[in-house]
Amino acid sequence: MANVKIRDFSIKWGFLIVMGVLFVAFSVLQPAFYSAGNLFNILLSVCIFGTMALGETFVLIIDGMDLSIGSIAAITVMMSAYSMVVLQLSGVVAIIIVLLIGAVIGLFISFLIVKVKIPDLLATLGMMFLVQGLQLIPSGGLSIGTGAILGNGKEAMGTFDPGFKYLGQGRVFKVIPIPVLIMIVIALIVYIILSRTKYGRIFYAIGGNPEAARLVGVNVNKYKVIAYVSSSIIASLAGILLAARVGRGDVGSQGTLLMDAIAAALIGYAVLGVRKPNPFGTILGAIFIGMLMNGLTMLSMQYFWQDFIKGSVLVAALAFTFGLSKKR
Amino acid sequence: MDTKPIVQVKNIGMSFDATRALDDVSFDFFPGEIMALVGANGAGKSTLIKIICGYHSGYEGRILIDGKEALITCPKDAYDAGIQTVHQIINQGVIQSMTVAENLALEEMLSPDQPIFYDYKGIRKRAREIASMMDLDYLDLDAPVFTISQSDRQMISIARALASDPKLLILDEPTSSISEKEAERLFVTLKKLRDRGVSIVYVSHRLHEITRLADRVGVLRDGKKSGVLESPFSAQHIVHAMVGDIDHEPVRKEDVHANKEVVKLELKGIVVQEGDRPLNLKVYEGEVLGITGLIGAGKSELAQVIFGINKPVSGEMFLHGKLYDPVDIKDAINHGIFMVPEDRNNNAVFPQFNIRQNIVAPFLDSFSNSLSLLNVGKERKEARRMIDSMTIKCESEEAAIDSLSGGNQQKVVVARWLMTEPKLVILDEPFQGVDVKSRSEISKYLRAHIGKSSAILIATDIDEVVDVADRVVVFNSGMIAGEQQAGEIEKDTLVHWTAQVPEEILN
Repeated sequence: MANVKIRDFSIKWGFLIVMGVLFVAFSVLQPAFYSAGNLFNILLSVCIFGTMALGETFVLIIDGMDLSIGSIAAITVMMSAYSMVVLQLSGVVAIIIVLLIGAVIGLFISFLIVKVKIPDLLATLGMMFLVQGLQLIPSGGLSIGTGAILGNGKEAMGTFDPGFKYLGQGRVFKVIPIPVLIMIVIALIVYIILSRTKYGRIFYAIGGNPEAARLVGVNVNKYKVIAYVSSSIIASLAGILLAARVGRGDVGSQGTLLMDAIAAALIGYAVLGVRKPNPFGTILGAIFIGMLMNGLTMLSMQYFWQDFIKGSVLVAALAFTFGLSKKR
Repeated sequence: MDTKPIVQVKNIGMSFDATRALDDVSFDFFPGEIMALVGANGAGKSTLIKIICGYHSGYEGRILIDGKEALITCPKDAYDAGIQTVHQIINQGVIQSMTVAENLALEEMLSPDQPIFYDYKGIRKRAREIASMMDLDYLDLDAPVFTISQSDRQMISIARALASDPKLLILDEPTSSISEKEAERLFVTLKKLRDRGVSIVYVSHRLHEITRLADRVGVLRDGKKSGVLESPFSAQHIVHAMVGDIDHEPVRKEDVHANKEVVKLELKGIVVQEGDRPLNLKVYEGEVLGITGLIGAGKSELAQVIFGINKPVSGEMFLHGKLYDPVDIKDAINHGIFMVPEDRNNNAVFPQFNIRQNIVAPFLDSFSNSLSLLNVGKERKEARRMIDSMTIKCESEEAAIDSLSGGNQQKVVVARWLMTEPKLVILDEPFQGVDVKSRSEISKYLRAHIGKSSAILIATDIDEVVDVADRVVVFNSGMIAGEQQAGEIEKDTLVHWTAQVPEEILN
């Protein structure tokens, strides 16, 4: 019985305890870690993939997987730059265009999954590849910045809208970074939808038993479409934050965003031992990754250790979630 | 049968979580005989078969081979003991992309004694031997299996099973996906094998095959052995043992509730599947209509039409006299027509939800405000009310659904649909995997709360239906074979209708 209690306790609180211990350890070993500026830096470093992870959470809940979100963020960066720098459109129009692109990609992905019946993982893998290629075409494979020479020999004359850049670089009261604020707002909205509304309940029902959901009158395909479109649009939002931060259309901007986002959402399973995708866990998973990277870098970890450590954390969290489960 | 049994199972029992799937079941299998194994869905046939061929390990009881105890805990144990099984799904028994020869001689091909370099000639030679043993010489050994017919694929599985000279050959629903002509060929083969001294266990729910083929019939019911019938037996005998009378107190009181003045649902000329005859059926207000019949008689298929899952081929339905033509399940629910589907685990339970969330699942609209925010307090109150009135045994409405016994889980699923007053609720095999006490409680609850609603209760087991229903309709081959009112029920007649061949019903 004592063993069971210890196990149940560690399943529920283990992750948060580890997180707290790490936080204290970093603060003691490197006092600069524990400063408001650095803590906001941590949040700033996680807000883009953290936002993407919130979208991925929708898809994970219905027992799917979206591998295309990194590419969607990337095409958003390129198309934001293309709209403002090449087409010289305003920031607002650029935002509308890229969100529409995200929505269309999401619709097409759900079409492949729901109508053509390609398994989720494969459909989004294919779309990841396709969109990654697509983002290079308008600029002829080049990064887009003011003054860049385009494929047709003309010079791009537009600039990034300052209002647009404010989304990535501004700070409220000169302290709280705008993108962090945006992530928190999105997180709250996603949390309310998934945990407090009937729609969230329906998503979880589909993930638990799609046939039972169908037999209580749920249009399962409709909710699959909603999940994938939400994931794509949120990935576009994250792409906007990224474009606004770097202020140019960089072809290599997506980096490890996809892996980081999926890792954050999966690590989130372990938070409070819920063993299912959940927005609160997703955000904590993202912050955990950011805190670990920041703290270890301050303790002079070399950059090439980063992915190895993130991967180790993910594997450990998954082992913890699935290995310590109550049954078997 | 003067010989000794070649395989014996003794006092076999098996539980899955809270469900007792098999209880104290013993059978003897003799060489040179075909023993059929029958039972309604959930009676324990497949559990027993899986135990014998080594898929389940945590069972109670013993398995004896040639009178000696054998420890069978994995498929290889069964294989080494000389037990071979041909499973229901033909394409799981063959490897599509390989040739006929490779499939026939699969065992040799995968054996560790094979040379490192692939010896197709040797495989082909062995395959030729196996094929001629089963008169399969007409098969093209080099053809890939996906190019040949279903029945030939099945023959390959059987031939391969026999190549190792097994003591016991188990066939699980072998005719479920082959044509009648192909089935005839299978029967000829099986009889030949029997005469050669092989002991065959034949699992099927097609009674007319069994009466022609089997020497004896073992019957399972509710996880228990219901009897062994020796030849000669008729379809009627088998049905009786499968679903006929067991002595216990009926739930239904003598007062019949149905209000024959008000027709709740009327089916006019409904054709469920292409080629069926049109069905006409009325369900009255306050009535519990029982529908019984064997698997494949068309009961569940009709339920799916009423619940908006499938469209009928032709015909019309009327709800309170108004045309009722549901476009989908949601539409049916909006019309007040609900269904408790068969197979609780796959079709009804949300395993990660607690009891409250499971109960309110279909009616989230009425538990949420205009912003779609859920009112958990109201959910709790309603869940609590259903838990109390249906006597669901649980810690609280927040307890996990899988902490409940099978019977209590079923109560939760039924509670889901009886929480709001339905116009008509269909219960499809609601007593599968449900203990006797829960079954009687669910039945009593349904009777007590029927009010102005109506219910259709579908069950293969005649007793389950007779217990509760105001009227019993027997389905057979997509047709209504007969109908009796409560109070004038003669089970023998019901059994007779259930077991009839379709030609008799037409006359």
